[in-house]
Amino acid sequence: MKKNNRASLSGAQKFSLVRREAIYTGLALIGLIIFWLVAGFGTASVDVKIFHLPLWAVLGTVGVWIVAILISALLSQKLFTDMDLEGDDDGK
Amino acid sequence: MASSLFELRSLILLLPLLAFMGVMVAISVFVRHKQAGKNFVSSYFVGNRELGGFVLAMTTVATYSSVSSFVGGPGMAFQVGFGWVYMAVVQVTAIFLVLGIFGKRVALLARKLNAVTVVDIIRARFKSDTLAAIAAFVIVLFFCGTMTAQFVGGAKLFAAVTGYSYEAGLILFGLTVVIYTSIGGFRAVALTDTCCAIMMMIGIVLLLKYVLQAGGGYENIMTTLEVSNPELFEPFSFGNMPWTIYFTQWLLVGICTIALPQSVVRGISYKNTQGLHQAMLIGTIVVGFMNIGINFTGILAHGVLSGTAADYGGVDNIIPTTIVTAMPVELVGLAIIGPLAASISTISGLLIVASSAIVKDVYLHWSEKNNRTVTPARVKFLSMATTAIIGAAVFVIALTPPSLIWLINMFAFGGLETAFFWTLLLGLFWKRANKLGAMLSMTGGTIVYCATQAAGFKIMGLHQITIGITCSLILFLIGSYLGKRSDDETLKIFFP
Repeated sequence: MKKNNRASLSGAQKFSLVRREAIYTGLALIGLIIFWLVAGFGTASVDVKIFHLPLWAVLGTVGVWIVAILISALLSQKLFTDMDLEGDDDGK
Repeated sequence: MASSLFELRSLILLLPLLAFMGVMVAISVFVRHKQAGKNFVSSYFVGNRELGGFVLAMTTVATYSSVSSFVGGPGMAFQVGFGWVYMAVVQVTAIFLVLGIFGKRVALLARKLNAVTVVDIIRARFKSDTLAAIAAFVIVLFFCGTMTAQFVGGAKLFAAVTGYSYEAGLILFGLTVVIYTSIGGFRAVALTDTCCAIMMMIGIVLLLKYVLQAGGGYENIMTTLEVSNPELFEPFSFGNMPWTIYFTQWLLVGICTIALPQSVVRGISYKNTQGLHQAMLIGTIVVGFMNIGINFTGILAHGVLSGTAADYGGVDNIIPTTIVTAMPVELVGLAIIGPLAASISTISGLLIVASSAIVKDVYLHWSEKNNRTVTPARVKFLSMATTAIIGAAVFVIALTPPSLIWLINMFAFGGLETAFFWTLLLGLFWKRANKLGAMLSMTGGTIVYCATQAAGFKIMGLHQITIGITCSLILFLIGSYLGKRSDDETLKIFFP
């Protein structure tokens, strides 16, 4: 579900949403750290090479970058909500 | 004959740089002209909250990426190998974290409070002028350290590549950055940062192309390295990359960077949430490209330089030597714009925040409290003069560079994170956070951090940021549970 449509929100709703988005971001960070560990150290003993590079070096660098891009896209395009930053939409 | 050839070479090297610096100054003059008639404080310190997604992404990345990312970092990658790239890639978190966690909250609060600086928000959250003054002092102090490192790093690179003196480099780009920041303020900083980020990427692509060409192609370089330098292909680099470096880098250049005031203030400056969302994505793409690109190029420089880093005078000389060796003379001037752009974009970003800390957070607040009227013309004069004076002071320090300049840079980075991480994170997301907690955390944490740095004290060989950030958290929690809760009026604003 795409959630970044501009909604009419009260000030309290905006702050609640922003809090939730910060939690999503924190969870995304934890996910990326786990991927970074598994992709790099986790595959360091695997004897596979891609373009003359060991697998861990590819997954731990370019792989982490691609996952970070996907995470940013997921957060910003799907999980984050557009909102008016100027005052309460309900006029409070 | 030889003399005129040297002069011609020097001119060829300088022309692209002079043109680039000229464009930077022209942008700032244009911005000042366009901003005429608008609220000066808001336009000068946060660009009237008009930044779009692309510029927001580029200015955040450019301020975050310093000259050491382009010189010391890839030099270390040359020495250590892919373990260094694996460590540096943690920086891909920097943009989506700071914008995702603080971006909207800071934007909403800034509009509610009519805040222009991060210190404005801290003052309102904890209702403390003393804490605000300490925060402003910490910003100015540590920023001066970081700016000095940027000046010195940039000028040394300039001297090594062009053959001109260190002082000439300092005057060329040092004075330029002070002038354009003083004239144009935040909006000019954001636009010039965008140009700088683009030039950084062009510089990386150019350097990579010529390194591959000079080394006989990718396959040739890598096949040779696999035999001659097997340590480059091992994550711990046969002991050169201990786990402690990985751990502390996650803190220093990854997680804790979300609280750097120069990054958080970007949350006050953008126009709308669509822009913020775009910036998160664009910023992550760009920061990853830069980090992987330049560090990978550092490793591939083995195809150009046959000795060890020590043979070339240390890791800081690897990239300058590679540029001079691999690139045609007509492109060298263009190639060093990238690293110099990293230097000046960081300086300008810090300079404008340091200036706002003095003018807005200290002087204007003091005037308002004492019912003293400050005319718009005086605010304008003071803002531009303060920016110029701070820049000039750092410029003078850089003329006689301290010998431990890179340590000072990292010291300043850790100090800012220790001071602001919990104060901003818990202050903006935890109702129980209060004045005593923030005060103890910012002062106590920073003092402990500085003391352990001065004494060289470490736990398990970890960087002192781990001690500073832990003490800062403990003190914040103690203060928050012992001290008085924030009043209802404040909580209603920050947690409606």
